[in-house]
Amino acid sequence: MAGFKKEKPTARANYPKLHASDPLTGFDAETREKVSFMENYIMKNCLWQFNSRGWDRRKQNEGILGKTTKLLLGEEVENETPLEKCYWVDAVLLSRAFRERCAWLAGMGKDEVQALMKILHARIDWLTIDGSLNEELTVQNY
Amino acid sequence: MPYHEFDCSKVIPERKQHAVVKGEGEDLTSCLPKGYLNTIPGSISERGCAYCGAKHVIGTPMKDVIHISHGPVGCTYDTWQTKRYISDNNNFQLKYTFATDVKEKHIVFGAESLLKQNIHEAFDAFPEIKRMTIYQTCATALIGDDINAIADEVMAERPDVDIFVCNSPGFAGPSQSGGHHKINIAWLNQKVGTVEPEITSDYVINYVGEYNIQGDQEVMQDYFKRMGIQVLSTFTGNGSYDDLRAMHRAHLNVLECARSAEYICDELRARYGIPRLDIDGFGFKALGDSLRKIGLFFGIEDRAEAIIAAETARWKPELDWYAARLKGKRVCLWPGGSKLWHWANAIQEEMGVKVVSVYTKFGHQGDMEKGIARAGVGTLAIDDPNELEGQEALLRLKPDVIFTGKRPGEVAKKMRVPYLNAHAYHNGPYKGFEGWVRFARDIYNAVYSPMHQLSGVDISKDDYATDKGFVTRRMLSDASLPEADRASPLTGYTGKFDPIEALRAKTDADYPQFARKSSPQAAE
Ligand code: SF4
Repeated sequence: MAGFKKEKPTARANYPKLHASDPLTGFDAETREKVSFMENYIMKNCLWQFNSRGWDRRKQNEGILGKTTKLLLGEEVENETPLEKCYWVDAVLLSRAFRERCAWLAGMGKDEVQALMKILHARIDWLTIDGSLNEELTVQNY
Repeated sequence: MPYHEFDCSKVIPERKQHAVVKGEGEDLTSCLPKGYLNTIPGSISERGCAYCGAKHVIGTPMKDVIHISHGPVGCTYDTWQTKRYISDNNNFQLKYTFATDVKEKHIVFGAESLLKQNIHEAFDAFPEIKRMTIYQTCATALIGDDINAIADEVMAERPDVDIFVCNSPGFAGPSQSGGHHKINIAWLNQKVGTVEPEITSDYVINYVGEYNIQGDQEVMQDYFKRMGIQVLSTFTGNGSYDDLRAMHRAHLNVLECARSAEYICDELRARYGIPRLDIDGFGFKALGDSLRKIGLFFGIEDRAEAIIAAETARWKPELDWYAARLKGKRVCLWPGGSKLWHWANAIQEEMGVKVVSVYTKFGHQGDMEKGIARAGVGTLAIDDPNELEGQEALLRLKPDVIFTGKRPGEVAKKMRVPYLNAHAYHNGPYKGFEGWVRFARDIYNAVYSPMHQLSGVDISKDDYATDKGFVTRRMLSDASLPEADRASPLTGYTGKFDPIEALRAKTDADYPQFARKSSPQAAE
């Protein structure tokens, strides 16, 4: 199928670290509360953030949260490959859940939503990749 | 790190890093036990071996296959029958197990000729079966028997048979999980791509990491068929050997037990570009979302919604009946691997129970991440526990019920903690909407069964209360319920004893016929 480039196991296992500390630290209480609420929903109901390797989690988080952000902003989402479409599927469910449960999203401007989702993305990356205690994340093969 | 040290394991200090209590404000960056390491000497593990993981968990649920172990008969015996992965071909793979019965003299002189003789005997005894899997064990691996060479010889002599060789002897990993990995990759390398399937739908999936415990696969397959989806193969419950050789032609891999089968999904993604979609078949919300996601992927979400609406209307009232009666009941969720995250949130949200502990026998840290993320504050999470730790935890946590395997389950029963079999179930299937009610029914019966109270009575004495033996549901579970719940005309589950029979009786005419949009090639 189109659109898939096979990477070398060594290269992909050496993914760069993005966060050296909890990215939520320093934000105001309201932002922290909103992000925590969204984080809790993801942790309790989703599985995509827990693929077995760090490089894969990075792609999953980016793919799904990136598309979720677009959906929340009402932007068009393009799915050129089946893999992209698979991210989109999880993003659709997540954006619906957020719309349903986070009434405050409706009162936020597009920039604010985008900024909030960026913090959420960083926080999920921190929990599942950069701050993770899982010692198997950097194993080269699956 | 909020490690938990068991009193009984103080003499094994390394064990401390294998248990944590999730405290207030803890997250996965501060609270995660070690996992998937070699069992520490001195700790009597409940794990299985890598051969068991390959054969018993993943290989044997394949239904139209002679599964033969090359080794002593004991290896085979321990991986036979206990897991109730039924099949729609009269349970061939459960009824018969095969072993080469290696003895001391074979260790000295080699067992390859014995293996070859056994393969021929097995094919001769079951001439209608043309497929075989062979499993390496410790003894035959150590003497260097070349199973592949023998399999090739037999295939040359019998052109109508096909043989898969699994080189995963017992020592090939810290636990059964090492065997899951080995058989995933071996199947992909040896067999996937060697059969071209007939594509009958625009929407084609492999259903992966699903073992048809008491019919789970058949329940889910029914939903997929009602959506017009072709299940090309199931890896591996109720799965057919040749269907699994055609996995490369699916449009989507729907992954249920990531612990045992993520490897083949990840490699199918890397080699064939087939996406991996993780789902949960347990729980109304999780299952509904799973069907929705598959529907969305193919652009047929409306078909999923129709099923969800019908099934929810039929079964939700009965689930709620149990939830009212299970509220606050304390659960130790101690399965092998994936149930710890499949069930942790769903049983709390939908049945009202409280998970006080999760554990995994053979899971990796990734499984614990999922389990701890889904569990609540105060949950004790244990990796690769030993029996004494299990007992200590039961005494400390005082659960109302425990979901685990048969070995720790027997220990729990002796401690008079009701036990449900998390691997093979009690009265499953537990997947699907109806199955989830069956699970609630089994939990209810486990928690409230008067047998457990009576089991604490010494009936050799004359002075126990003879007027307290008879109790009813209203006395056991309903006495403290709000009036509205007590007044409910329902009495719990109303399905059949065997819900699978009706599914097997369905023919193509019982499923909706959807017009094809395109040729199979275009659908890709
Ligand atoms: S550890 Fe080795 S000898 Fe024991 S059951 Fe497993 S394969 Fe057989």
